[in-house]
Amino acid sequence: MESADEMAMMMEDSNDEEEFYGGDVDDDSDPDDVVMDYDGFMDHDSDDSDDLFCAHHHYHHRSQNYTILSEDEIRQCQEESITKISTVLSISKVAAGILLRHYNWSVSKVNDEWFADEEKVRNTVGLLENPIPLPDEKELTCGICFETYPHDRMSAAACGHPFCVTCWQGYIGTAIHDGPGCLMLRCPDPSCRAAVGQDMVNKLASNDDKDKYNRYFLRSFVEDNRKTKWCPAPGCDYAVDFIVGSGNYDVTCRCSHSFCWNCVEEAHRPVDCGTVSKWILKNSAESENMNWILANSKPCPKCKRPIEKNQGCMHITCTPPCKFDFCWLCLGAWSEHGERTGGFYACNRYEAAKQEGVYDESEKRREMAKNSLERYTHYYERWATNQSSRQRALENLHQMQTVHLEKLSDKQCQPESQLKFIIEAWQQIVECRRVLKWTYAYGYYLPEHEHAKKQFFEYLQGEAESGLERLHQCAEKEFQGYLNSEGPSKDFNEFRTKLAGLTSVTKNYFENLVRALENGLSDVGSHAACSRSGSSKNLGAGSGKGRSGKGKGTTSRSSSSRDIDDSGHWSCEYCTYANVRSATVCEMCQQHR
Amino acid sequence: MASPSQASLLLQKQLKDLCKNPVDGFSAGLLDESNLFEWSVTIIGPPDTLYEGGFFNAIMTFPPNYPNSPPTVRFTSEIWHPNVYPDGKVCISILHPPGDDPNGYELASERWSPVHTVESIVLSIISMLSSPNDESPANVEAAKEWRERRDEFKKKVSRCVRRSQEML
Repeated sequence: MESADEMAMMMEDSNDEEEFYGGDVDDDSDPDDVVMDYDGFMDHDSDDSDDLFCAHHHYHHRSQNYTILSEDEIRQCQEESITKISTVLSISKVAAGILLRHYNWSVSKVNDEWFADEEKVRNTVGLLENPIPLPDEKELTCGICFETYPHDRMSAAACGHPFCVTCWQGYIGTAIHDGPGCLMLRCPDPSCRAAVGQDMVNKLASNDDKDKYNRYFLRSFVEDNRKTKWCPAPGCDYAVDFIVGSGNYDVTCRCSHSFCWNCVEEAHRPVDCGTVSKWILKNSAESENMNWILANSKPCPKCKRPIEKNQGCMHITCTPPCKFDFCWLCLGAWSEHGERTGGFYACNRYEAAKQEGVYDESEKRREMAKNSLERYTHYYERWATNQSSRQRALENLHQMQTVHLEKLSDKQCQPESQLKFIIEAWQQIVECRRVLKWTYAYGYYLPEHEHAKKQFFEYLQGEAESGLERLHQCAEKEFQGYLNSEGPSKDFNEFRTKLAGLTSVTKNYFENLVRALENGLSDVGSHAACSRSGSSKNLGAGSGKGRSGKGKGTTSRSSSSRDIDDSGHWSCEYCTYANVRSATVCEMCQQHR
Repeated sequence: MASPSQASLLLQKQLKDLCKNPVDGFSAGLLDESNLFEWSVTIIGPPDTLYEGGFFNAIMTFPPNYPNSPPTVRFTSEIWHPNVYPDGKVCISILHPPGDDPNGYELASERWSPVHTVESIVLSIISMLSSPNDESPANVEAAKEWRERRDEFKKKVSRCVRRSQEML
């Protein structure tokens, strides 16, 4: 953690940008918090509930556990680390750079190792304590080309092994062309471990090679560093400096790409990295082809190639070179078929064998593969649909920002600053589509036998989905009406209230969904036995439990602001629907307020 | 990048040196007088080893950017050895390009460096003949035999030695 704090200090010195809010790793993990806020749909006064979920939203600075670094900022950080080491150990900056690179840019590690055993460190990285000058002779022989040159045409690393400038250029150039290994270059003499550092490169390499070397040097600071990574978006040059051990891996780069710092796939809360990689592998891998083949084909009994029977009779002739004639039903040789087997084209050997249970094994496998394929397709389709829906929502958001908002502002005579709620709604839609998408991967891997969890999950997911649909509908369809109206609409303010209300309700709902899934749906764990009968009544009991658990903490507040949000809506206690203030019965579920 | 002329000058010089002061254990010359980049080397099986008495021919091929990149060495005589591929190519660490293995287990000092010459390479090959490295074998069969059935291995090597004498 020490080095992370150092980085934090450095960043504060070097730029005062807002982005930086590192170091604030507060006690989000306090289990009481989670229970308390589990159902706190309207807890706008409590920031804690947002910490886990919204760390990547720009307006939640407090809990941001990472810093985005541009190339210049990376260089600055690197420079700071080097200066620090060079002052503390009183060595040259070049030597400090070599040391830091060796210890993966961890300032504290360099300090530890150096003060534990300086000589050992010097030996491993090839930093000589007492540099040896070039032999004091007028003419020297190059160890590579064996030519003799005057003293000033020769160069050496700290070890004093003389090589001519041309051979040095070739040696360094080749190393740089070979890749980032050039950062650990040593003297060409195989018996010598003296390091060849940036100073030698700057003195001896061509300009192109110098540029390349400096790139590798900068990249090393990000790539070899345990707490920084490049943003994986194509063409993005930003790096992310992450406070390791601070939980939540979701990171949003300045290029707006959201990704998981841990596995560098796109952001995927509430699903964990392991599930995501399994899912992605499953989507791309041969495994589904394999399942299809299993489900829809039989292997030729002779050559074992899979055969799909798409038409015709039971007499199958395998393709050359095999050409085996066999019966599709019993997979026996066709030559043995005839009257004896109950006619050529209806093999009763198969029926008989089936009754004896001989074919059960492979039939069962085939049946299972078929089912598993259908199950996978179900989840995959929904996953992919939400993915493309998110993509479209992103485009809509963009269009909103660039075109529609201005038009709407004209039509409705509203300043654009008053229309931010539309942008916020779309941002929420984009975010929710992402979460919803991953819940399908979550659902796919939810164990089949955990009935209570599965039902609870499907209930939550269904609620989330319908809430999101309401919001999406409102932001898309109803919005059109106001955009295309002749003049200012009387009920525009109602639209504002409705959309803003839907946004905030949906947001809260999804936050709770994410948290529930991340907890492994532990709320149902304790009474899984009673809900095994699996009626929707039990589900109600399941969610009711969460509510009462939290109720203990907030009953005192519920009378005040809790049920009514800023826009004057009250949210139904049963279905979370945001009702207008005047209503006494929930418009959605007809429950009394 | 070293210019081709540097490579040929250096090879020319080494050829002259080797003619003037031959080294025990091998002889070297050009495969074709007009091409400095292909050398023909005959290695005499080192005494007190299984390869004693053999005459093994090999071709050394130098890249245009020698000495910054290593040459390849390929035996044309049949040879049974854990560190020689079945096609005769020699696999020893000093012939590996410096960039091949930036963090791996070969120490930098064991890999190619431009200070190596024909002489130092051939001497490395001779020392390889006397002490095979079966940890990263090029010829897995030979390495297994060397470890587990030394008699069988010896027999195969003697056959190679005899055949190399017949070819003279």
